[in-house]
Amino acid sequence: MSPHLKDRDLLLAADGEPSAHLENCAHCRARLAEIEDMLAGLADARDLANRIPSAARARTLLRARLAQQSRGRTWRWRLIPAAACVCLAMIIGVRVNAGGPRPDARLTPGETRPVTLSEVCRSTEAAVVVRDIPADTQAQVFSAYGIDRRRPDQFEIDYLITPDLGGAESIRNLWPQPYTTRWNARVKDQLEQRLHQMVCSGELDLATAQRDIAVDWIAAYKKYVGDRPK
Amino acid sequence: MSAFSSQTAIDLLRAAGRDRSTLEDEVVSLFDCFRTPLLRYLLAFRVPLSDAEEIVQDVFLLLFQHLRHDRSRENLQGWIFSVAHKRALKYHARNKRHGERFEPLPPFGDGQQDRAPGPEEQMYFNQQRERLLSIFRALPEQDRLCLSLRAEGLRYREIAGVLGISLGSVANSMARAIERLTGGAV
Repeated sequence: MSPHLKDRDLLLAADGEPSAHLENCAHCRARLAEIEDMLAGLADARDLANRIPSAARARTLLRARLAQQSRGRTWRWRLIPAAACVCLAMIIGVRVNAGGPRPDARLTPGETRPVTLSEVCRSTEAAVVVRDIPADTQAQVFSAYGIDRRRPDQFEIDYLITPDLGGAESIRNLWPQPYTTRWNARVKDQLEQRLHQMVCSGELDLATAQRDIAVDWIAAYKKYVGDRPK
Repeated sequence: MSAFSSQTAIDLLRAAGRDRSTLEDEVVSLFDCFRTPLLRYLLAFRVPLSDAEEIVQDVFLLLFQHLRHDRSRENLQGWIFSVAHKRALKYHARNKRHGERFEPLPPFGDGQQDRAPGPEEQMYFNQQRERLLSIFRALPEQDRLCLSLRAEGLRYREIAGVLGISLGSVANSMARAIERLTGGAV
């Protein structure tokens, strides 16, 4: 029978369970170091394989949701007045664009900049980053959509045609996208990444991708990604 | 490994107290510490990345409620992983109703290269990593989750709490997983 600790007891000892043997046995300490190296190597390998995107957008979304919770009203209490507003809007036939999941085509038809396919495909995948849009431009967009009285942290100013697909940094390509709707900013990111991938693999031409995302990004999502937001 | 940094962050936040920052800031700081480890864990649990991101958001909204109601701050790391684990179980239960939809674990490589001194060494390191990942992917679920949580710095007792199994089961799973991972070592 081996005089040394088994792996399970070595790991328990490493977790702080008392073991006089480990302190005095170089063989067991070496084996423990080997296991810890292997665990660290596994973590590195998984980091490389997983390609976890930047936290910027997820952090912004969390902040918006926390701010909403902090205001102290739960969704259940919001549901009643929200449902009443929707019913009222349906009754009087008002189409509410501000705060909806689609931009107003009159304000944000989408605009592109001159760009070549190789420029678009220089990065291997669409960048998931929140680009800095000047505060005064953001204020103009909120104002155009008539949502200046609402808290801007409920929205992200989004490029309708993402710059990764040649979208222009123009107010005609910007709109306030809500964080909290089913078809939200994160869902649109998935579409943007998918379109970028299709354009760069030659499955779709750039002009079609730009047009489809500008005309109706939700329809484009259903066409290129899936029927329901993932 | 992440154990030290995560625990240190929690200790610092605890020491800082609530006066120095709002609860929202505290939750966002914890989010910054734990988002990547949680995503790694959920991916090991075969939750697709987009859904894993949503589960992580839920975890931190629940954490906010938990702290807002002055509930226990002991072992927040264990609490966070435990809630994520339960959410992942719910996710799989819900998907089972619409047919099993397991996300395959992501492929290795895909054009990503490590910065190694030379091509031969680089190839060797990449082969070693590929071997580790393929063994990791083939492990039984409980063994894979135990190993994943241990790699994120959780202690055995915490892993047992997260997975709802005994300390002995955790130790056995870990021993099995390590035997497979190191047994085939070159």
